[in-house]
Amino acid sequence: MALLTPFNKMPELNTANILLVENEEQFQTKLADVIVNYEKQINVNVRLARKLPLPIENADTRPRIDLVVFIVNLIYERSLQAMESSIKHLDSGFFVGKVCFLVTGARCGSVSHERLLSVRKLAASLHCPMLCAEDQTTEGVRAAALRLLSIVKVSAGLVPTATALYLSALTRCTLPAELDQD
Amino acid sequence: MEGRGSAVKTPASRIVKRRSKSYGRSCVEPPSQFWYTPGQLTIVRIPTSREAAKSRNITEKVDPEKVALLVKNEWKLSHVTPLYRFRHTQLKQYSRHLSAFIMAEKQQGVAVEVGPETTFKVTFSTVLGLAETEEDAETVFIQIHSKPMFAAAGDVPKVVWSGWLTCVNGDPEYLRSLPPDFVSLPLFCTNGPEALTTLVKSWLERTFDCNCRSLILNSTILNWLAVLWTGCHPTTDIRYLKLDWTLPTDPSLDISYRLSPQDVWELWNSIHQEDSADDTVSLEEVNRFMTGLESHFFRHFRIYLSAGTLMKVSTSLGSAHHNGKIKIACSNYIPTVLTLLTECAILRMPI
Repeated sequence: MALLTPFNKMPELNTANILLVENEEQFQTKLADVIVNYEKQINVNVRLARKLPLPIENADTRPRIDLVVFIVNLIYERSLQAMESSIKHLDSGFFVGKVCFLVTGARCGSVSHERLLSVRKLAASLHCPMLCAEDQTTEGVRAAALRLLSIVKVSAGLVPTATALYLSALTRCTLPAELDQD
Repeated sequence: MEGRGSAVKTPASRIVKRRSKSYGRSCVEPPSQFWYTPGQLTIVRIPTSREAAKSRNITEKVDPEKVALLVKNEWKLSHVTPLYRFRHTQLKQYSRHLSAFIMAEKQQGVAVEVGPETTFKVTFSTVLGLAETEEDAETVFIQIHSKPMFAAAGDVPKVVWSGWLTCVNGDPEYLRSLPPDFVSLPLFCTNGPEALTTLVKSWLERTFDCNCRSLILNSTILNWLAVLWTGCHPTTDIRYLKLDWTLPTDPSLDISYRLSPQDVWELWNSIHQEDSADDTVSLEEVNRFMTGLESHFFRHFRIYLSAGTLMKVSTSLGSAHHNGKIKIACSNYIPTVLTLLTECAILRMPI
């Protein structure tokens, strides 16, 4: 099993690499466009994947990944299942602030509550932040892109005085005690 | 109809006690400040296990005529916030008010009054015996009859719309936490023209200061129903289990998955551990059952059903659609199904 590792490659100057993993491949392209077009100060490379592990063939040419974003569409159970199987292919070095969950469809009345709860539980157990995003409107996509950009800048080491671990300690998902008990 | 029995159920002045566990908020404030919501997400307590469906002859408890009314129709579900100052003793008055309201609304926008073409008569009645616990308020059944203006003398008014407000095995903690003067009948089932439904809903909203919204049955609820109905197979023949999925392809793909009752029962029997003490079904077992069905489908057709949405579950005992339409064909399982739906409606309450 080829693990994706965060520290086995040298970083490039003024560059941040973000990997968006989504089973449905709908939201990630919209998000990638906004991220690339918005940031002018630094080079942000967005890489897209449907699932992990990534193919071995171009492992050498792939840059160092600074942030892995798992996009979960709560409307489809499969999205959650695919994310759960993908996450096993990440090196533990990523879980110090280089992984983030992005959930869409959480406000949709027809989705079952358990899915959001299980993503929250997973994020809390892995000490990762969980962001909720709106994927239907351009405003929502833009807001999500900006939030990811600010995280990736920190995890790529481009923000002085802040580190990925420090940021994740502040933003990681926590569960209220009431939900934790069962 | 609204005799003494229903009057007992109306909570005139209840002493409200706050339990240590709160519904929706981790709060310490007394229930008098129930409207105060701190800026926190509602925490819904999702039940992870429930009683297996038991066949019960409810006609012993409930008037068989009323049961027949509930069983024969397909109902569109809504959820209603607690009703303010609703009294089971004033149903006659409500009937008059609602008839007058409907007539007034029908005449709106008519420049010259030529007399209404039809007259509407509303009857409110209680369905005694559906409530299961002390906290549950009695079910209220509403019927709208219409009679053409120039009908023959012998014409019987026709039922054009019917609906009922119910609460079966509602979460006791939630019901107790309500301030006095509120009656919670969270589940509203309607059958009839959409225009009349809208009128009745707006009357309810104005009269009892509540809010009606249509209830969507999410996949968890549909999974529960599929399992509960499958579990009935040894006592009542379910004939088939049919699951309808819609997959988000372009154009969208509708899949109808029909299973023989014996096969699903065997699958369920292999998953479900029967405890002799209390026959409960856990959410984990439900998920394993559905995963089993989905992986069987995947093995044959290479299609992940979980990539789509479960739209409809049906057996000969009843059917439930994602958009909130439900049909109960067998009266013996009414309490089980209504308990599940009541809980679903209560989970939708804004707190």
